[in-house]
Amino acid sequence: MWPNKYVLLACRLIVGAVFIWAGVSKIADPLSFAQNVKNYQLVGQTLSFLTAVFLPWVELIAGLWLIIGLYPKSSALLISCLLGFFIVLVAITMARGLNVDCGCFGTFSRQADWWLIAEDSLWLALSLVLLFSPANDFCLFKGKSSKA
Amino acid sequence: MGLKKILTDRETWTGLVSIIGLSIILGLASHPSLIKRFLAGEFKQAFILKEDFPELVFISLPEAEEAWSRQEAVFIDSRSQEQFDLGHVPGAISIPLEDLKNGREDLLTLIPEVPEIVIYCESGSCQDSTDLAKILEWRGFKNLKVFLGGWAEWQQNGLPVETNVAK
Repeated sequence: MWPNKYVLLACRLIVGAVFIWAGVSKIADPLSFAQNVKNYQLVGQTLSFLTAVFLPWVELIAGLWLIIGLYPKSSALLISCLLGFFIVLVAITMARGLNVDCGCFGTFSRQADWWLIAEDSLWLALSLVLLFSPANDFCLFKGKSSKA
Repeated sequence: MGLKKILTDRETWTGLVSIIGLSIILGLASHPSLIKRFLAGEFKQAFILKEDFPELVFISLPEAEEAWSRQEAVFIDSRSQEQFDLGHVPGAISIPLEDLKNGREDLLTLIPEVPEIVIYCESGSCQDSTDLAKILEWRGFKNLKVFLGGWAEWQQNGLPVETNVAK
């Protein structure tokens, strides 16, 4: 029922690369990202700033570890939670009628809309496959949960 | 593998704690000066580095109010015409940034010759005021000041407002 090990490896590379790119593009310009967070009008100045300083690193490290296979289940769980949160956030933002830049990939960001929800849903689906699949081959750290 | 098994696995939590812990360390290490400036009270109104705009002067609400009271400064509202009509700083001129970017150069002729120009947008969350100020600076306007608190702060503090809505 589960995809073979090469498909799982491809999922890891794709989701990991997306998160590494998301993280790196924001680390370069934290104040712009802080403004993006603030524009969602859900948190204040302080939380926007803290999110901008720390969240990109969470994305980068989770993506990197997913690719190299260091705590892959933890990375997949964290990425799945983040994507679930992003989807809900964009949906709430659209429901409130706010027209904001998503802030997803630094200067390559675009509007938070249905396409973004669809894109995040795709990454979430791949991430959930990685989370619940019984095997994770090609991992640097093969803990007991990643054995076939 | 079930979610319960994943969540009860010690290895999962070790991984999560290590990712988050490392992120906190790297976040602190990568932007020490920004964090220091934030703790010192900067970025309370807007996430901009004032040194990126050396030609602009950023003013607070009391300074904006004082400039308005002296009637020596012209206030420029960079929001949309609709927002301006609903309420603006009394005497302000409407120069929507979007309209100017779309070629409405004639709007610049509305600016009179005054000792100083104060530009504002909705609040610290918008950058239209700094963007408009940069455009005006390129066009040769002098003594430009940006009121970062903007219309939101002006209104929230019960200062005089003017509307163009028919009563």
